[in-house]
Amino acid sequence: MSDISNVLEILGNIVLIIGLIFVSLGMLGLLRLPDVYNRMHATTKIGTLGAFGVMLSILLKVGFTPMGVKALTVGLFLLLTAPIAAHMIGRAAHRHGVKLCKESIIDEYGKSYK
Amino acid sequence: MNSLLLDLALLLMVFAMIPCVYRTIKGPTIPDRVIAVDAMTTVIVVMLGVYSFVQGSVFFMDVALVLSIISFVGTVTISKYLDEGVVL
Repeated sequence: MSDISNVLEILGNIVLIIGLIFVSLGMLGLLRLPDVYNRMHATTKIGTLGAFGVMLSILLKVGFTPMGVKALTVGLFLLLTAPIAAHMIGRAAHRHGVKLCKESIIDEYGKSYK
Repeated sequence: MNSLLLDLALLLMVFAMIPCVYRTIKGPTIPDRVIAVDAMTTVIVVMLGVYSFVQGSVFFMDVALVLSIISFVGTVTISKYLDEGVVL
């Protein structure tokens, strides 16, 4: 019994470290990348992998208690809705007229509705 | 070990708030500000989850769930307003 608890604790710590690494990389991308679309590409990783990793680590640490089930619910909700929100705001930005950065080489969505 | 890692996670979340505020203030266009506020809400949700585990209380997790729902609805509303000019 104590063996399984220790294994789940170590596994939860590993998943927590992975989630924190993804949050750090997303924040670095939000600070440094040159374009709206590139920044959105970086910050969606916070919503999916970073937040879901941290919530999954809480579930692994506490088991199926009320806190663990709520953490799994928050993680699954963010995993489902972060790509939808990023897709909608990217489409709205493109149709609103936000230019791509200078290093871009192709813009197929702009050609499709012009 | 366990407590040190969780304290480090909370400290990292506090420092992760700085690029969001910078991009919200300086961002050249409106979608920049929207995605910065969205990322800041996600960081606050993660911080509330870790803080709920540290305190041993379930109620902060309810706050995190409600905040994530409000963030999603707000982002969808602003993107529809930017796209079509009306909200509904």
